[in-house]
Amino acid sequence: MAIVDMSKLSVIGLNDNKSDVLRELMTLGVCEINSQDEKLSDSEWAALTKRDFDQSATLSTDMKISEVSSALEVLDKYFTGKKPFIKCRKPVSEAEFETKNSKPEEAEKFVALVNEKYKKVLSLKAQQTALLTEISELKPWLDYEFNLDMKETKYSSIIHGTFPNSVVTADIESRLSQEGSGCVIDVVSKDDKITYAVAVCLKEDKENVLSVLRQENFNPVSFADIVGTAKENTQSCNDKLKNVESELSSIEKEIGRLSENIETLEFYYDDLVIERDRYKILSNILRTEKTFYFDGWVIKSAVDKVKNVLDKYGCYYEITEPEKGEQMPILLKQNSLTDPFQSITDLYSTPSVNDIDPTPFLAPFYFIFFGLMLSDAAYGLILSVGSFILLKHYRLEGMMKRLVKMFMFCGISTFFWGVLFGGWFGDMFGISPAWFNPVEEPMTLLVFSLILGGIHIFVGMGLKAYILLRNGQTIDAICDIFLWYLLLIGIVVFALGSSIAPIATEIGKWMSIIGAVGIVLTGGRSKKGIGKITGGLGSLYGITSYLSDVLSYSRLLALGLATGVVSQVINTLGKMVGGGVLGVIVMIVVFVIGHVFNLAINTLGTFVHSSRLQYVEFFGKFFDGGGTPFNPFSRKTKYVEILKEEK
Amino acid sequence: MESLTLFNFSGQFYALLGAALAALAGIGSAIGIGIAGEAAAGVVSEDPNKFGQVLVLQALPGTQGIYGLLIAFIILLKVGLLGGDGMVDITVSQGAYILASAAPIGLVGIFSAIAQGKAAAAGIMLVGKKPSELAKGMIFAAMVETYAVLALLISFLMINSITF
Repeated sequence: MAIVDMSKLSVIGLNDNKSDVLRELMTLGVCEINSQDEKLSDSEWAALTKRDFDQSATLSTDMKISEVSSALEVLDKYFTGKKPFIKCRKPVSEAEFETKNSKPEEAEKFVALVNEKYKKVLSLKAQQTALLTEISELKPWLDYEFNLDMKETKYSSIIHGTFPNSVVTADIESRLSQEGSGCVIDVVSKDDKITYAVAVCLKEDKENVLSVLRQENFNPVSFADIVGTAKENTQSCNDKLKNVESELSSIEKEIGRLSENIETLEFYYDDLVIERDRYKILSNILRTEKTFYFDGWVIKSAVDKVKNVLDKYGCYYEITEPEKGEQMPILLKQNSLTDPFQSITDLYSTPSVNDIDPTPFLAPFYFIFFGLMLSDAAYGLILSVGSFILLKHYRLEGMMKRLVKMFMFCGISTFFWGVLFGGWFGDMFGISPAWFNPVEEPMTLLVFSLILGGIHIFVGMGLKAYILLRNGQTIDAICDIFLWYLLLIGIVVFALGSSIAPIATEIGKWMSIIGAVGIVLTGGRSKKGIGKITGGLGSLYGITSYLSDVLSYSRLLALGLATGVVSQVINTLGKMVGGGVLGVIVMIVVFVIGHVFNLAINTLGTFVHSSRLQYVEFFGKFFDGGGTPFNPFSRKTKYVEILKEEK
Repeated sequence: MESLTLFNFSGQFYALLGAALAALAGIGSAIGIGIAGEAAAGVVSEDPNKFGQVLVLQALPGTQGIYGLLIAFIILLKVGLLGGDGMVDITVSQGAYILASAAPIGLVGIFSAIAQGKAAAAGIMLVGKKPSELAKGMIFAAMVETYAVLALLISFLMINSITF
């Protein structure tokens, strides 16, 4: 429900026990080990200790990891079995993880084998491309029955090449014969742009002929390394291609078979990552000849477990409470109802030490706003049931799990509002609303939305007041929050007072006047001289921001209308085709496609706009963010989740 | 009203002109989505795995077109074009009211969608560099959309208050 308490930890122990201590702390995963850069730049510390860091071990493990991950990529590409829609970590017990990783040599061999096979695949693919290029280059010359490497006879030169189709070869021949250098140009083939041709002339005329031909955009083709006719070469290329392709497919099949063992590598990968992280953390540990030192943060409720480990290995340690306002890593903890909504907080920012955790306060509003904007009972059911199925079928974790769960909750809210406003796929079934139809009475919903917005903003201001009071800034709380409460409530009472009692108008008037005067007098209290007056007036001008904040909640109505009316459009379109079997089929198709589209686009819009109301209107009142999230020294595995055994 | 009857257009014509004007918001959405799409393709060329994330951002400027459609649809319903009984008779001034009420979403829709497309494109670039900041990119684009939402609301309230 709040920001989790942390304790400061500093430890000195013997180097002999270091790896065991680190291993056990990693398994616990409740400590964050701080960087020691600051201490190392302190000359007293630097004289005694040095950084404990084994660069070569870290690097070599990193190399192994990159090899394994490229092998995994290859196997994943050729994996023939059924791939899950969402990839989730596989739960394994500690013992299973250890037995699976008991033979690293074999895993390594497997990695090498896969990577080698894939190298072969790549080289075969390159050969394949080269052969295909050659075949396509030879294709225009298939009808030329002489050897392509025959460039001359005893007296004549043979020049192969291409013209653009616009060139008329007979014209060139006659031009050349006028110049006294006879030449025969034989057209071999034509495609839609280029003419492929052979020019034959006397050897002594070759230079002249070539220069004339070049003027006509002739492009000589040399056929380097080709012996024999185009037909022969194409034939041999085709044969080679067949061999390459069959080899390729057999290797690819082999890799496909190997990919059945992909799990071995996934285990190996995670084992390596754990090992690498253990090497890496050493750079945050200081050492002397015989001892090591580190400090960091530990979750307060888990202090006893850490103590046990440290006692076991005879470490000297100190656990203290942080000073007030000291920067520390932030971990949030929620109850099961508000936990899904932490995703909204996480998407914004981690709270700072001075903040309060906004999640429990935003959760109910998010729930209500989301439902109000989507407000279709059928859509709500689809959203909830869909999310529920996702959660049942996949072991989702972290942000993903929270988001899906949040959509499940919000689906319930959507259902509720849908029933109130009579939206079941819009007006498809003509079910009458339990409360009222917003399309017919938009003003009612507009007022309702703005009231909800007002409450939301007031709660945000209240939280700011709480933070100020907690920090002992009582005057700030009174001037910046309570005077505003007085003014804003006063204005509302003044405006609505006449319909309640005549005296209410009077009360409202004086409340607003006192509030406004108070704000003008105190708004510039931190400024000097003339700023005291202008600052106060400036503060009062801030009333426009409250106005625009409240009006911003009109989107609750607008997006609710959007869902409802677009559904209505879809239903009207579907019913337009008329009766008959065809009409029914078209209607169903239009309904399904239309409503899926409407659900998708409106859920996106609703998600964005309910988040925006939290981030801009609500958080703007009290929340700073910018904290550092708690990053424990733990086993950060990618493919498997090692289940902790509770003793 | 002399000047209006000068063209001898009926009230129904003005009402339909209003529906058309509202639907023009789609121009803005098309341009906005196009702008965002160009940025999205750039990011996906670097990392195809970001397709899903950038698609979400690309879709954001599409709502103005939907709001325009929505108002156009309500106008068509109101003048009886979709009801089945045929168009109702409305006076020139009633038709002109409808035309006026379509103006907010038609005009604001076009320009806000283009601006939102630019913000969404910037958000897509943001996701390209920092995938974890998707939500912030979405919020930047949604800030622009506020004004389309307000225009939709005004158009809707105006139409809703016109009675025949």
